[in-house]
Amino acid sequence: MGKNKKIGIRTKIMSGYLLVIIMVIFAFFLVNKQFSVVQADKDYIMGHDFEVTTLSHQIEKYVLDMVRGQRGYIITGEESYLQPYYTGQREWQHNFDELYRLVDDPGQQAKLMVIKDNINKWADTVGEPLINQKKQESNGVTLSYLENDQGGATIDLIRSQFDNFREVEMEFRQNRADALNQNIDTLIQGLVTLGLLVFIVAIVMSTLVSRSIVRTMNEVIATIKDIATFTNTNALDLSRRITLRSRDEIRELGNATNELLTNLELREMHQQRINNTFNSYQGITSIAELCKAFISAISEEANSSYGAIYVRDFRSDRHLFVKSATFADGFDTVGRNHFELGQGLIGEYALKKSMHVLSDLDEFQLIPSALGSIPPKGMIIAPILYEGEVIAVIEILSLSNYSESDQQFIRDVIENFGITLNSAKDREEIERLLTESQTMTEELRVQSDDLQTQSEELQMQSEELQTINEKLEERSKEAELKSVALNQAKIELEKQAEQLVLSSKYKSEFLANMSHELRTPLNSILILSELIAENAGEQSRGEEEKFAKVIHTSGKDLLALIDDILDLSKVEAGKMEIIYGEMNINDLPNYLEMNFNHVAEKKGLLFNILKGANIPNIFCTDEKMMLQILKNLLSNAFKYTENGSISIEIKNVPNKELQPAFAGKEADYWIAFSIKDTGIGIPKEKHQLIFEAFQQADGATMRKYGGTGLGLSICQEYARHLGGYVTLESEEGVGSTFTLYLPSLSNKLGKEDVLLTSLEEVAASSLDEEVLSLDTEQVNLLEEKQNVLQGKNVLIVDDDLRNIFALEAALKQEGMIVCSVNNGLECLEILEEQPSLFDIILMDIMMPNMDGYETMQRIRANDELTDIPIIALTAKAMERDRKKCLETGASDYVSKPLDLEQLLSVLSVWVSNE
Amino acid sequence: MYSQDENFKKELEVDLLLETIYRLTGYDFKQYVRASIIRRIENRRNIENAPNITTLIERAFHEPGFLEKIIEGFSVPVTEMFRDPSFFKEFRTNIVPILRNYQEIRIWHAGCATGEEVFSMAILLEEEGLLDKAKIYATDMSKVAIEQARQGIVPLNKMQNYTKNYLKAGGTKEFSMYYKTNSQNVFFAERLLKNVIFAQHNLVTDQSFNEFHVIFCRNVLIYFNPTLQNKVHELFIQSLSSNGFLGLGNKESLRISKYADSYEEFSTDEPLYRKK
Repeated sequence: MGKNKKIGIRTKIMSGYLLVIIMVIFAFFLVNKQFSVVQADKDYIMGHDFEVTTLSHQIEKYVLDMVRGQRGYIITGEESYLQPYYTGQREWQHNFDELYRLVDDPGQQAKLMVIKDNINKWADTVGEPLINQKKQESNGVTLSYLENDQGGATIDLIRSQFDNFREVEMEFRQNRADALNQNIDTLIQGLVTLGLLVFIVAIVMSTLVSRSIVRTMNEVIATIKDIATFTNTNALDLSRRITLRSRDEIRELGNATNELLTNLELREMHQQRINNTFNSYQGITSIAELCKAFISAISEEANSSYGAIYVRDFRSDRHLFVKSATFADGFDTVGRNHFELGQGLIGEYALKKSMHVLSDLDEFQLIPSALGSIPPKGMIIAPILYEGEVIAVIEILSLSNYSESDQQFIRDVIENFGITLNSAKDREEIERLLTESQTMTEELRVQSDDLQTQSEELQMQSEELQTINEKLEERSKEAELKSVALNQAKIELEKQAEQLVLSSKYKSEFLANMSHELRTPLNSILILSELIAENAGEQSRGEEEKFAKVIHTSGKDLLALIDDILDLSKVEAGKMEIIYGEMNINDLPNYLEMNFNHVAEKKGLLFNILKGANIPNIFCTDEKMMLQILKNLLSNAFKYTENGSISIEIKNVPNKELQPAFAGKEADYWIAFSIKDTGIGIPKEKHQLIFEAFQQADGATMRKYGGTGLGLSICQEYARHLGGYVTLESEEGVGSTFTLYLPSLSNKLGKEDVLLTSLEEVAASSLDEEVLSLDTEQVNLLEEKQNVLQGKNVLIVDDDLRNIFALEAALKQEGMIVCSVNNGLECLEILEEQPSLFDIILMDIMMPNMDGYETMQRIRANDELTDIPIIALTAKAMERDRKKCLETGASDYVSKPLDLEQLLSVLSVWVSNE
Repeated sequence: MYSQDENFKKELEVDLLLETIYRLTGYDFKQYVRASIIRRIENRRNIENAPNITTLIERAFHEPGFLEKIIEGFSVPVTEMFRDPSFFKEFRTNIVPILRNYQEIRIWHAGCATGEEVFSMAILLEEEGLLDKAKIYATDMSKVAIEQARQGIVPLNKMQNYTKNYLKAGGTKEFSMYYKTNSQNVFFAERLLKNVIFAQHNLVTDQSFNEFHVIFCRNVLIYFNPTLQNKVHELFIQSLSSNGFLGLGNKESLRISKYADSYEEFSTDEPLYRKK
C-alpha cells in the first residue's frame, strides 16, 4: 500500500482540468506562432518583392536616363543633357547593389550580374567614349552615333533582361503567395484538430475520473446494503471483495469495506468452526467417541497436524490424565499415554488451569506421517475445566504457528466441551449404575428362581430322603443317648467350675482365717520377746538381748505380713464389710497428729497437715476403711523418707479434676487426700506395678525397708470399694505424692455393702494418648486429594486440646468445617441444638465427665442421629475396646496415634453418599 | 402347516444364538439356567435396540466385537466385600485354625467377578497372619471383570456397607488400615494382592489347573442348570485336596448335588463343606 502513492480525487480532477488548460495554451501558442510565420511571409512578399520590382524599374529608368542624357548631349552637345546621365550613372550602381542584396536566388543574381555587365559594357563602350568624343569633336560624333546607333542593341538587351528578371521574380512571388495560402490552410486545419483533441481529452478525463469513483462507490454501497440486510437465512457471500482500481479515497473506502468484509468473514468462519465442532460431537454419549470426535474436529478446524486429548481418570487415586483420543496419531507412537497433574509441560498447565500457546518450536516430538515425521511449529495446551476442576486436557500441534483466531476458537470450544464431557461422564456413571442395578435385580431373580427349582427338586427327593430318615432316626436315637450323657458331663463340668470358684473363695477364706489364727500365737511371742529384750540388761548378756530383738522385729514383720494377707484375702473373698456413716472431717487432723507426730519426731521429719477451707464437715464414707488407707499411705511415706518433710493435704475436688471414669459418678462431693513425702520416690515405669499385690519398686527396696508390698494394693482396693481411687505422682529421688480421692456418698448411709469380688478394672487413665504429629509433608501429599471432604461438617469430641488443635488443622486443610467440643456432655448439647448439621463425628473414648462409650450410646438414643457416622478414636485398640465401641454405636474406629492418611480415608468413606 | 407358535420360535432363536456363540467362541451358555439366559439376552436386545434375537445373531456374525459384548452381558458381576459376613466369620473361626497348620495354602475363587471377595479373603488371611503363605487364584469368565479386579479398586460409596460387613465378619483390625481413597474410589493396599493370581477361566469349558485347599464359588452355580452344576462340581472335586473346603453362596446348597456324598457339611448355618 505504501508504495502505491495515493492520488486523490481532487488531484485527479485538477490534473484533468490542468491538462485541458495546458492543451489550450499550447494550441494558442501554436496558432500564434503559425500566424506570425504567415504574417512574415506576407510582409516578405509585400516588402521584398515590391522593392525588387521597384529597384529593377529604378535601375532600368536610370539606365534609360543615361541613354537619354548621352543621346541628348551627343545630339545637342548641350552640357545640360549630361546631367541625367551622370545622375543615372551614379544612382544605378547604388540601386543595383541594393537589388543584388535583396535577391537571394542564384539564378536571378547571375541574371543581375549579366545585366550589370551589360550596363557597364554599354557605359564603357558606348556612353563614355561617345561623350568624350563629342566633347572633342563635337558634330562628327553625332553623325556617327546617329548612323550607327551604337549601343541601342545593348540597351534593348538590358531591357529585355530586366523584363526577364522581373518575370522570374513575379513567378517567385506567385509561388510564395501560394505557399502562404497553403500555410494558412494548414493553420486552420491544425486549429480544428487541436480543438477536437482538447474536447476528446476533456471527455476521456471526466469519464475516467467519474467512472473510477462511481463504480467502486456502487460496489461499496451494494456490499454495505447486503451486510445491512444480512440475516442467517440468506447466506451472504463474504468471500467477495471490492476490486480496487484507483488509488484515491475511493480505494480507502473500498479498503475499509473490504476490511469490514474480512472481519465479518473471519467472524463468520470462527462461528462456523465453532458450529462445525459442536455438530461433530453432538449426540455422542460415549466419552471415548466424544473425545475422538472433539479432537478430530478441533484439529481440523484449527489446522492442526496432531492432537491428543487426555481425560482425567477418576478411578485413579492420583491426578492421572489418560490419553483418550488422538488426531493423526494412528501409530500410537507419539506422546505419552498418561500424565499426572504437574507432570511435564502439559501437567503444569493443567495444574495452572490455563491455556498455553507455544510458537516457533525448534525441537519437539515429530508428527508422524506415512513417509516420515514432520517437526511441528506451533502448539496449544488447553485444560478443559468443569466447575473449576480440570477434567481433561488437549494438546494440539501444527506445522505453522497458531493464529489469534485459532487460539480464540480453541478457547471458545473447550468451554462448552467441558460441560458436554462432564455430562457424558455423568451419563456413563448413571448408565453404569443402571446396569449395576439391573444386574443386581437379575441376580435376585436368579436367586429366587434357583430357590424355586431347589424347592421343587427337594420335594421330589423327599421320598427318597424318607428312607434315609428312618435310618437317620435310629442314629439320632443313639445320638440322643449320647447327648444325654454329654449333658450330664456338662453339668458335672459346670459343677466343677463352680466348685473351682468356690474353692478359690475358700482359699481366700482359709487364708483369712489362717492369718487370724496365726496372729494370736504370734502376738504372744512378740510380747514375750519384747519383755526379754527389755529385761536383758539385768539378767542376761548382750547377745541374748540382741537375739530377743531379732525375734521381736521378725515377729512384727510377720504380723504385718499376716495383717496384710488377712486384709487382702478379706477383700478378695468379698468378706469386706463396708459400713457407711457420717464422719466429721474436722476431727481428722487431730487423729492423724496423734498417730504420726511421734513417728515424725522419732525420724526427725516435719509433719504438716493442711486442710482446705471449703470442705463440708460431714463426710459420708466407711471411716474405718478410709483411716486404714490414710494410715497405710502415711506409714509408707514415713517408711521411705529419711529426711525432709511429710505433709497431708485435704481438699475439696471439683468433678472435672477427677479421672474420667469417676467424673460422672454419683456423689455428694469429692475429697482428695494428698500425702506428699520427700523420700526415695518411685520410677515412672513402676507406678502401675506397685499397686499390684506383692510388688515393690524393686527387690532392693524391699530388703532395705522391709514390708510386704501389699500395702498399696490394699489401699487401692479399699479406695475402690469406697467408690474412689488412689493416684501417684513421683519422681525418683525427689519424692512421691499419693492422692486418695474419695466421694461422700450420703445415699448409702446405713447400708451395708457386702462387696463381691468385682475387681473390675477401672478404665485406664488416658496416659497413652498421644498428640497427633502432623507431618507437613504428609499433609501436602494429601492435598486436594480428598475433595469429597470439602465442605463437610465434622464434630470433634476430645478432651485433649492438643489433639483438637492438631485435628482441626488437618481437617480444615481438607476443606472441612470443623467444630470441636471437649467432652461428651458438650457433644450432646451441640447435637441437641443442631442435630442435622454434622456429617460425621470423631469421638475420643477416654474423656472426663462422660466418656466416649456413653456419649455414643446417648447419641444413638436420639432418633435423629441413628445414622450419623461416628468414628471412635480408641487410645489403644484392644479388641475389647473395639467391640465396646461398636456395641455402643460407633460406625468405625481408628486407633491412636492417628495416621492422618488413614483418618482421611475413613472420613472419605463415611461422608460419601451411598 | 408351518409352526406359528411364538414361544417355540423364540426358543429356537435363543438356541441358535447360543449355538452361534458356542461355535464361534467356545463359550458354552447352553447349559445355563434358561430363564436367566433369556432375560440376559432380552436385556442385551433392549440395550441394542434390536427388534428380535435373530438380529442379534446376524450382528454377532458380522459385527466385530459384538459377540464379546453379548458374552460380557451374560456375566452377572454382583459381589460385595465380606458378603454374608457370618459366612466369613464362620470361615475365620473354624476353618482358619485348620489352615494354619498347612505349609502353603492354595485358595481358588472361582467366579470372582470384580474381586471384592478376593480382597476380603486377603484381608482375613492377613489378619490371621496367613497371607504370606497363601496363594489365591482368582478367576472369572469375564475379561472385563478380571481386569477390574486386578486393580484392587472399589467405589467409595460402597465402603460404608463393606465396613459394616467387615466388622460383622469378625475383622480384628481397623478396616481403614487396608485402603486409601480419592474422591471416587478406594484403593486397596498392594500387599494384599501380592499373592493373588488373576486369570480368565471358564468353569464350563476349562479344566482344573491346580489342587486347592479352599475353593470359593459363591453365587455362580445358581446360573447353571443341574447338569452343568454337576459338571462343575466334578471339576471342584478334582481340584480340591483331600479334606479341602468348598464355600458356596448362601442360597446354594450341595444337598441336591450328585456329589453331596463326597463332602461333609462343615457348618450347620453356612454353606461350607469339607471334602471327605
